[in-house]
Amino acid sequence: MFAKLKKKIAEETAIAQKPGGATRIPRSVSKESVASVGVDSGDDFASDGSSSREDLSSQLLRRNEQIRKLEARLSDYAEQVRNLQKIKEKLEIALEKHQDSSMRKFQEQNETFQANRAKMAEGLALALARKDQEWSEKVDQLEKEKRFLTAQLQEMKNQSLNLFQKRDELDELEGFQQQELSKVKHMLLKKEESLGKMEQELEARTRELSHTQEELMISSQMSSDLSQKLEELQRHYSTLEEQRDHVTASKTGAENKITALERKEQELQAFIQRLSIDLQKVTAEAQEKEKLITHLQEKVASLEKRLEQNLSGEEHVQELLKEKTVAEQNLEDTRQQLLATRNIQATTIDILETRVKELEQTLQASEEKLKHSSEVVASQEAQIQALSSANEESRCAQQQAITVQQQCKERVHAVEAQIAALEKAQAADKTATKHKMRELEQENTALKESRNECERSLQHHQLELKKLKEEWNQREIVSVAMAQALEEVRKQREELQQQAANLTAVIDEKEQGLQEKTEMVFQKEQEILQLKKGHECALLQMHQLQSELEALRSLRAEEPGAAAAPEDLQRLPDQEQEPVTLKAMKAPVFQLSAAEGTPNGEVGTMDLGQLQKEKQDLEQQLIEKNKIIKQMQQRMLELKKTLQKELKIRPDELFEVREKPGPEMSNLAPSVTNNADLTDAREINFEYLKHVVLKFMSCRESEAFHLIKAVSVLLNFSQEEENMLKETLEYKVGFPGLLFQSPNSILSSPSPGKGDWPLEAGQQPELRCQLRSCFW
Amino acid sequence: MGGFFSSIFSSLFGTREMRILILGLDGAGKTTILYRLQVGEVVTTIPTIGFNVETVTYKNLKFQVWDLGGQTSIRPYWRCYYSNTDAVIYVVDSCDRDRIGISKSELVAMLEEEELRKAILVVFANKQDMEQAMTPSEMANSLGLPALKDRKWQIFKTSATKGTGLDEAMEWLVETLKSRQ
Repeated sequence: MFAKLKKKIAEETAIAQKPGGATRIPRSVSKESVASVGVDSGDDFASDGSSSREDLSSQLLRRNEQIRKLEARLSDYAEQVRNLQKIKEKLEIALEKHQDSSMRKFQEQNETFQANRAKMAEGLALALARKDQEWSEKVDQLEKEKRFLTAQLQEMKNQSLNLFQKRDELDELEGFQQQELSKVKHMLLKKEESLGKMEQELEARTRELSHTQEELMISSQMSSDLSQKLEELQRHYSTLEEQRDHVTASKTGAENKITALERKEQELQAFIQRLSIDLQKVTAEAQEKEKLITHLQEKVASLEKRLEQNLSGEEHVQELLKEKTVAEQNLEDTRQQLLATRNIQATTIDILETRVKELEQTLQASEEKLKHSSEVVASQEAQIQALSSANEESRCAQQQAITVQQQCKERVHAVEAQIAALEKAQAADKTATKHKMRELEQENTALKESRNECERSLQHHQLELKKLKEEWNQREIVSVAMAQALEEVRKQREELQQQAANLTAVIDEKEQGLQEKTEMVFQKEQEILQLKKGHECALLQMHQLQSELEALRSLRAEEPGAAAAPEDLQRLPDQEQEPVTLKAMKAPVFQLSAAEGTPNGEVGTMDLGQLQKEKQDLEQQLIEKNKIIKQMQQRMLELKKTLQKELKIRPDELFEVREKPGPEMSNLAPSVTNNADLTDAREINFEYLKHVVLKFMSCRESEAFHLIKAVSVLLNFSQEEENMLKETLEYKVGFPGLLFQSPNSILSSPSPGKGDWPLEAGQQPELRCQLRSCFW
Repeated sequence: MGGFFSSIFSSLFGTREMRILILGLDGAGKTTILYRLQVGEVVTTIPTIGFNVETVTYKNLKFQVWDLGGQTSIRPYWRCYYSNTDAVIYVVDSCDRDRIGISKSELVAMLEEEELRKAILVVFANKQDMEQAMTPSEMANSLGLPALKDRKWQIFKTSATKGTGLDEAMEWLVETLKSRQ
């Protein structure tokens, strides 16, 4: 490191010394300036010298003493100086050579540089234009892509919306289906229930049927019994009828007999009457005969008297007596006959009477018999009637039974028909339900399929959507990257432009430097002359310096820690800026030349002061530049954040890699969140902002007043905006500064409000109105 | 406008509402304490994103109590509410031994704020009903309270769910605020 540095210094000195002898310096550059510089420097030297001499006289005396002390070492240093002079000569020669070559080189380089610069500028301009074009094209393309993608996204969103709708519909359909299914199930259940009921009914009916059949059987048995009975009854009836016929016949016979008997009786009565008539006649005859007898007896008596009277007649009286005797005999006969007839009559009447009695007895018997028979008939007739009624009843019963049977049969038929109908209905229902179920199942399967399809399509679409989103994200990332790249390119372009500007500036500087160098060469020529003069002084100075150096070294040795610092200081500019080093490198030369140019050490110290000033300047410059760098870094961070915000991409994803290594960031990261930089947390909690703004609008004025700060911090209000808000709120409350212990900000910052109200009268109330409308 | 009149009234008669902030880490029980103080009941709360503000009347003193959400992301916004604060109720979960350090650093950072220079500090060692709760003295040491200078502070052991300790704390706060006036 140090060797290199020394080499560099040597080179620099060589370069610096060369132009001293060079006559090829473009005269146009700096004759006057060189002269003026020379004059100036001379004046400076003179004035400075005098002044310093006066100022440093005491010091000089001391130094002179020191120099005297160090005279012993002077011879060595003289040798060294001689050597140095030799070296210097050599170096001068080398410097000349080097200067020539460097001049040439420099000219060449200058030309080439200018050419290059032109080229580069052109090339850069072209490249920039091209890149611009490319980038614009790319941007266009990207925008197109973006538009396309947005359109696609929109489409996809629409599709997804459609899908969602479809899915919703599907869900709905499913719901309907399930409802329907449940309905059908319900119906089925109902049907099954009804079926069960029907079956139960059927069973009941079958039971009834069997019951009725049993009844039928019983009734048929009954009817058969009844028919048997009927038959029996009929037989009985027929027998009864026969009996009746018989009885009637016997009755008729009896009646006939009775009639015959009655007739006989009548006959007999007629006979009896006749007999009685006969008897009466007989009696009447007997009476007549008796009368006749009497009459004849009288006649006989009359005739006997007459005979007695008329015995003449004795034959006649004898005949009349004979006749009388015959008439008497007749009479006796008739009498006997009458008696006989009377006897016969009596006997016959007796007989007849007995017979009548008998007949009457028989009649009575027959009447009894008749009665009995009539009773029997009546009973039989009653029986018959009973039987017939029974028969009729039985017939009725039979008919009833038949009707019942028929009814039963009809009912059975009806029930059977019903059962059949029910079974048919059931079967039909079953088939219908099966059919329905099948249909529903088919529908269900179809719907499921459609749903699956829809889901598949949905998944597909979602996948597509995801892909597109991913693509979109990628594109976005790409676009972001491209934007970044673009930004970078722009930055690069700016940098390049800056570089170009810098380069031109550098060229100018270099030209200036060249001029300065030529001047310096002149100066140095003069200085060399002076150096030769002030050689001894320089030696003295060097002694002095070396002693000081040694003292310093001893000090450094004492403070090794402190020694590092200047080295670092030296190192830093080396690393940071080349021109600085260049200037810094020049410092020893200056020192040397100054030391050699001046007759004694005062000027050297002055130069040292100058150098120190320069160093300080450079350090200041360095610090400034560092500051600028820091500012730029901060700005860059801010720009990044704004970019983040605009792109709405999480900072972790994109800038993680970039921001991480920054040691400053890690230093900034606060251990205590309370004091954390609020500007740093720009990605403010949106929820928090929302809440605060909502409360701010809704709460009381006194509370709202306390919220102003929070709101203005959250919304990044400027001081004016915050003050305006405060004033508005105060205005609303009516008494500014009365209700609240007036916050410092209002008092401290003379806001444009109160004094300028009339001026802002046109603007402020409007804002107030707006704000008020916001609040209310 | 009722608020306006009442505020005028209150301003005229000098019974200004005391402004109290309830601060503390998330889940310490700030919201529960606020509603316990306001309505005297334990309400079910959700993590506060934002804040709750309620007017609590205690012993004829009106307090405007602000319960600020204590989640890490919104803790930086506490400082927006510091101005004109009369007292700070700092709620600490007595069982949360892991985060008492964070609680302490938040407390220290808060107390360094100029706007809270005159505020009274009441620390609620909350959740004392739990078994593994730290004692108030332990917590005071953990929070570095004894090292506080120029600050009126007091620690109370409380249980917002049981309602113990809140009255004593409010009593002390009222007395301290009255004596300060």
